[in-house]
Amino acid sequence: MNTKDLIQLNNEKREQLTKENKQYYGDMLVYIRTNFTKSERYIEEVLMELLDHLLQAQANGRTAKDVFGDDPKAYCNDIVGEIPSEKKANRLSFIFYLVMNLGGLVSLTAGTVGLVLFFIFGLGEGTIAFPLGSGILVILIDLILLLLFVMAILKWVKNSTFKEKQPRKWVEFLLLWASTALFIGLSLLVPRFMPDIGHVIQISFPVFILTGAVMYISSVVMNKKMQLVK
Amino acid sequence: MKLRSQLLKGILEGCILSIISQQPTYGYELSVKLQGFGLDDVSEGSIYPILLRLQKEKLIKGEMKKSESGPKRKYYYLTDDGLESLRLFIHHWTTIKQPVDNIIEKGGHRL
Repeated sequence: MNTKDLIQLNNEKREQLTKENKQYYGDMLVYIRTNFTKSERYIEEVLMELLDHLLQAQANGRTAKDVFGDDPKAYCNDIVGEIPSEKKANRLSFIFYLVMNLGGLVSLTAGTVGLVLFFIFGLGEGTIAFPLGSGILVILIDLILLLLFVMAILKWVKNSTFKEKQPRKWVEFLLLWASTALFIGLSLLVPRFMPDIGHVIQISFPVFILTGAVMYISSVVMNKKMQLVK
Repeated sequence: MKLRSQLLKGILEGCILSIISQQPTYGYELSVKLQGFGLDDVSEGSIYPILLRLQKEKLIKGEMKKSESGPKRKYYYLTDDGLESLRLFIHHWTTIKQPVDNIIEKGGHRL
């Protein structure tokens, strides 16, 4: 049974919880899962154990509060503190997968759109020309921005747990919209303000498409083999 | 009883090792057994951080297995290191139990 099966099973079993227990356990689940430096395997196994335990206690008329106490945050911190860190190799392959998958998709899209614009509408020159150093820097900075953005979102999700009153939906929506706009805006500003560094190279659109396809397909194969994400 | 103190944590660890050494056990079963022995002040959830720590220290190992009642459960087994650690705990416990009892009784507090 791998972690994806455990997550799937957890989703199914969680439906058997009462409304009150579901709220309590759901917050625990989010709070524990959003520790992305910890071993995913350990996290999912302990979450399943806690759920099984709660289900059995529920059948005997006890609540999540009876089982895990009235300070769930402190309890979760106890749990998380004992979970070992994810192995470096696993973390690196996950990052590698993300870069290949994302880079592949961006490259494929850019190549295809460019090709269509050039051949059908006669726009542009059929190639993209950019200074090599600047290009690499732009990609690196944008990746770091993406990482920061994801970490901020995870932190936000984690902080939304164990709240007595839920924040208003439209406030949450506005906040999310504003931070996403800020992130996209910043990512687009990077190439605009990047000075020219290194030799100018020209890459034609078919090369973009080909590179993108290779990157994307290898990320898919890698995921199939290592089951990194669903 | 919140198991804040290291002493209580250590004792509970020893008890958990002892129960698992008699028979592979899963979480809920373990808490029922602890309560059956009279440790009913121990909050149920507090066994899980301890089980995680014992796994990390390789004193026990978990395995998903079908239970008698049907669904798959994570059963814990004692490792060789775990057995060694249990022996050490029993040794420490027996050397400290009698003197502590004596001291308390000398002080006039009936047990």
